[in-house]
Amino acid sequence: MTMVNTEPQNNPRSRLSTVTKYLRKYRWYLFWGLLATVVSDLLMMYTPRLTGMIIDAIEQNRDPAYIGKLAAAILTLTALSGVFMFFMRRTIIWMSRYLEFDLREEMFNHLLRLTPTYYHNTRTGDVMAAMTNDLEAVRMMAGPGIMYTANAATSLVIGLSMMISLSPMLTLWSLLPLIILPFAVHRVGTMIHKRNAKIQDHFGALTAAAQENIAGMRVIKAYAQETAEIENFRKTSEAYIGLNMSLARVQGLFMPLMRLLAAASYLVVIYIGGMSVIKGTENLGTVVALFGYLALLTWPVIAVGWVVSLYQRGTASLDRINRLLHTQPAVADNGSTAAVGPVKGRIEFRGLRFSYDSRPVLDGIDLVIEPGQTVGLLGLTGSGKTTLVNLLTRLHPVGRGMIYIDGLDINDWPLQHLRRHIGFATQEPFLFSNTIAENIRFGRPEADLDAVAKAGLMAALEKDVKDFPNGYETMVGERGITLSGGQKQRTAIARAILVNPTVLILDDATSAVDTETEHEINQRIKEVLAGRTSIIISHRVSSVKDADLIVCLADGRIIERGDHDALMARNGFYANLYRSQLLEKRLEAL
Amino acid sequence: MSDARSFHDEEALGKAYDSRLMRRLLKYMRPYRALVVGAVLMILLAAVMQISLAKVTQWAIDDFISAGRLEGFPMVGLVYLAAIIGILIFTWGQIMTTVKLGQNVQHDLRMEVFEHLQRLHLGFFDRNPVGRLVTRVTNDINTLNELFGTAVVAVIGDVFMIVLIVGFMLYMNLDLALITFVVVPILVVATFVFRARAREAYRQTRLKLARINSFLQEHVTGMPVVQLFTQEKRAAKEFDTINQDLRGANLRSVIYYAVFFPVVEIIGALSLALVLYYGGVRVLSDSMSLGQLTAFILLVERFYQPIRDLSEKYNILQSSMASSERIFRLLDTEPQIVDSPRPKHIEQFGGRIDFENVWFAYKDEDWVIKDLSFSVEPGERVAVVGATGAGKTSLVNLLFRFYDYQEGTIRIDGCDIKDLDTDHLRSHLGLVLQDVFLFSGDYATNVRLRNEKITDDEVLQALSRVGFDRFLKHLPDGIHTEVKERGATLSTGQKQLLSFARALAFDPGILILDEATSSVDTETEQLIQQALEELLKGRTSIIIAHRLSTIEKADKILVLHHGRLREMGKHEELLNNGGIYRTLYEMQYRQKAIGAPSQPAPK
Repeated sequence: MTMVNTEPQNNPRSRLSTVTKYLRKYRWYLFWGLLATVVSDLLMMYTPRLTGMIIDAIEQNRDPAYIGKLAAAILTLTALSGVFMFFMRRTIIWMSRYLEFDLREEMFNHLLRLTPTYYHNTRTGDVMAAMTNDLEAVRMMAGPGIMYTANAATSLVIGLSMMISLSPMLTLWSLLPLIILPFAVHRVGTMIHKRNAKIQDHFGALTAAAQENIAGMRVIKAYAQETAEIENFRKTSEAYIGLNMSLARVQGLFMPLMRLLAAASYLVVIYIGGMSVIKGTENLGTVVALFGYLALLTWPVIAVGWVVSLYQRGTASLDRINRLLHTQPAVADNGSTAAVGPVKGRIEFRGLRFSYDSRPVLDGIDLVIEPGQTVGLLGLTGSGKTTLVNLLTRLHPVGRGMIYIDGLDINDWPLQHLRRHIGFATQEPFLFSNTIAENIRFGRPEADLDAVAKAGLMAALEKDVKDFPNGYETMVGERGITLSGGQKQRTAIARAILVNPTVLILDDATSAVDTETEHEINQRIKEVLAGRTSIIISHRVSSVKDADLIVCLADGRIIERGDHDALMARNGFYANLYRSQLLEKRLEAL
Repeated sequence: MSDARSFHDEEALGKAYDSRLMRRLLKYMRPYRALVVGAVLMILLAAVMQISLAKVTQWAIDDFISAGRLEGFPMVGLVYLAAIIGILIFTWGQIMTTVKLGQNVQHDLRMEVFEHLQRLHLGFFDRNPVGRLVTRVTNDINTLNELFGTAVVAVIGDVFMIVLIVGFMLYMNLDLALITFVVVPILVVATFVFRARAREAYRQTRLKLARINSFLQEHVTGMPVVQLFTQEKRAAKEFDTINQDLRGANLRSVIYYAVFFPVVEIIGALSLALVLYYGGVRVLSDSMSLGQLTAFILLVERFYQPIRDLSEKYNILQSSMASSERIFRLLDTEPQIVDSPRPKHIEQFGGRIDFENVWFAYKDEDWVIKDLSFSVEPGERVAVVGATGAGKTSLVNLLFRFYDYQEGTIRIDGCDIKDLDTDHLRSHLGLVLQDVFLFSGDYATNVRLRNEKITDDEVLQALSRVGFDRFLKHLPDGIHTEVKERGATLSTGQKQLLSFARALAFDPGILILDEATSSVDTETEQLIQQALEELLKGRTSIIIAHRLSTIEKADKILVLHHGRLREMGKHEELLNNGGIYRTLYEMQYRQKAIGAPSQPAPK
């Protein structure tokens, strides 16, 4: 089976298009947000200048009322700037949350279309990581990333022009240490990132060590190796500490170093500015104003380095998200609308071949099942039974000309239409953590409780449900009661029956049910089977003994077919299986 | 799937601050008191230097700039430079000390949990999923790192910092300081109101995120069901609803931040305006110098940081509660199998095993072993047969004391196994399981495990005695070759031989073997047979047998049925009896005819 996996192109435009299409959608948010940023910065950048004017006013012994006016101006401008700062976040960060929402929906809707092969080849954890951590990284890039870039750019432009207008010479000197900052932030940031990645790796090793120890506890205890295991784990844990300390050496330097560079700028201004004041070429107010500007500019400058890291992480995450979004579903409607009528239930396999990861699973299956027939399917583990019925639901892609439903190639049936006519119950059924009733009516949400109870009765679930605290409204799974394997299987059978399918498939659906209950289900289900095509896979001969046709599979081929009597007369696979299970029954009774 | 599970676990939501848990946590810092004191001292030194920067600025303005004096001015620059370098060094030193403290505590706690796990009985591991236990040792302890690594020291440091700055400001100019402090209550109130709101909003977003994650988790796992029952549209709609919930919660918390940051700026501007105005008036009336005013402005800025930080640290304390509660619950689980306080020793090992009226149930009165009595003589080879659920595996669990039986006695060389030290007991027993568990590491490690007393030579010898040397030849580094993917690339036969070699290297007096049921090709079959003979030579052995050849060679066959010993004897005798053994034998014969394993493979 091949999976069409279009790798994301290296073309940066199409790589970013996953995000840019949403930025376009929210362009007005973005526009007003950027405007608010510029206005807010413009207002904020007056504060240091006003402070400088106050100092000069004091030096020149001006009227206290004048100082009061200037102080009030500082307060007013900051308040106004604050209002715009509010709008900056309210629009840009707000937009990033909308973008996150849209992208999450897009990803989930895509997941809904991918086939079991994708989920088989991809770990659940990886899918979850893409939809949580990676999504957050992309949002950080699109929201705070854009906001801080805009903020840094406008603050720097406005702040620098203000500073230069005050004193070009002092501005130049004071910026010398600050220029190093973004590079330092980026460089140290990269180092931190690398050491962090190493720590993550080792954390993986630590997890694996614990995992292995706990999983292999029986062997460890049998050979009395607990003490040696402790010593071994201690080494791993100590190495982990070592790596963390090496990260701390860099990370611990990060903030202090940043403060040092900022403080060095202050020093330059104080020293060189101070000299100029003493010489009379500058006012003290100018020096104090420059102090204020440095304080305001330090953060935007630091942000430049930070934004670069945000962008790097964001694009890496975006690649993973793109990989998910660009994975094409292996099964999709081919657009044919040839069949729109109800499914009647005639199934025909014509020389069906199927391989999984280039390993042949089915090899030339020829079989016709007439509407209303009950077919029993037997075979050892790995003989291809489950694959055969899975192909009928098109969970995996099927080549043309191999399976026909009502005489029409299965690939020409609209996917949803076909599946609506099939009821399916498996050996290890998946139930949702919801009520039993919700699980049973999963395929027909509009069904009322009577219909649910009737399906439950058919699946011999009614006695169990009576003992549950809230009957059919009892929650199952993590936040409710834990069902036994047999109860889960019977719930799944009821779920399959309730959709009133034309074709009913039971894939070893009673393997965990005790013999008595299984017998009960076999009796009750006869009523359901009447008039439907059904395929019953079982490892117990008793469940398929009465079928119209019994088919035995081995290594992907049909080795025997016929009804019970015919197969017993053949004295082959079926007969041996039947007799061995008779013996088993006798043994039980002993 | 375990990675996905633990993911879900992590989202479990926090519980309220609990001072009892916190006291128990703080106990782990006791051995590192020196580090705590050192870190706090360094914080204080850095704080003093930070304050001195303001004082140096004042000095520069008053004595030089305002006075128009140039001589001695370079000295000011040098002192300033020295101070900022001092701040760098002390801050870095403090961070390193704190991280060291956090890492040490983390290591201690992790080892305590790990060591505790080693002491727990096997039943505990059968009940608790591996993934959940791994999370305790890894993620839960990492969560606590932030608490020990930064929060505790930072809280102490912040408090000292506030006291220092307040004291210094009061000393510099009492009434200007008091005017400055007017805004403090506003800031404190604003910060705490914001933190309370933000925390609630954060809790809400975590809650919604946890819901999204569990929905996703469930639907990714159950996707085939969604598709088979054509419920994609409904799933998309449900997802849309909870996704909108999350967006709503996120947008609300955006508002809090959008309000908080400007408010902090405005409060800052208010205090700046107050200081500038009242300070300016004082400078004009000559009751204060310009330098003092500038120093004041600088100090006011320093003063806000610790106040803002303090409330953030509270969040860390709170978030550590859930993890620590889970860890302590594990540490408080008592091991159910404990050595007797005065353990006996088997003086002279012979290898005799006696079961005497043993009754055992995993749960309540669900007896899986009923009134079982039998004896194995030293050197005897005993085969145990029976259908699934007959109690064969439980027999192994009891002999190794993985579980304790409820009634009766099991003796080895006349010694009750409950009176023996478990390590001592197990050193006499060897176990070969049908599911061979291989560890990551090289072949040598998989033979000797981590028992350094077994030399490379002994490992090689064990491997060659079971016939594994023929495979060893093809390995690039011999016994020091890594076993890839924990043995996924090895054949069943090879894995089986490795487990034989393991048992041989430990050289136990009694060997328990759970024979593999999966059919192997004839060549491997022969290989295993020869190795098995080598392994069993001169030992007492109990074999849970599936192969006819093994059963026929046994000195004695025990037939277990529904937990009871129903038949005992030699192959021919039992076959002629026509009882359970005969039925089992015929069943196996039929199953062999259709190529099935002699028993359904365990799930």
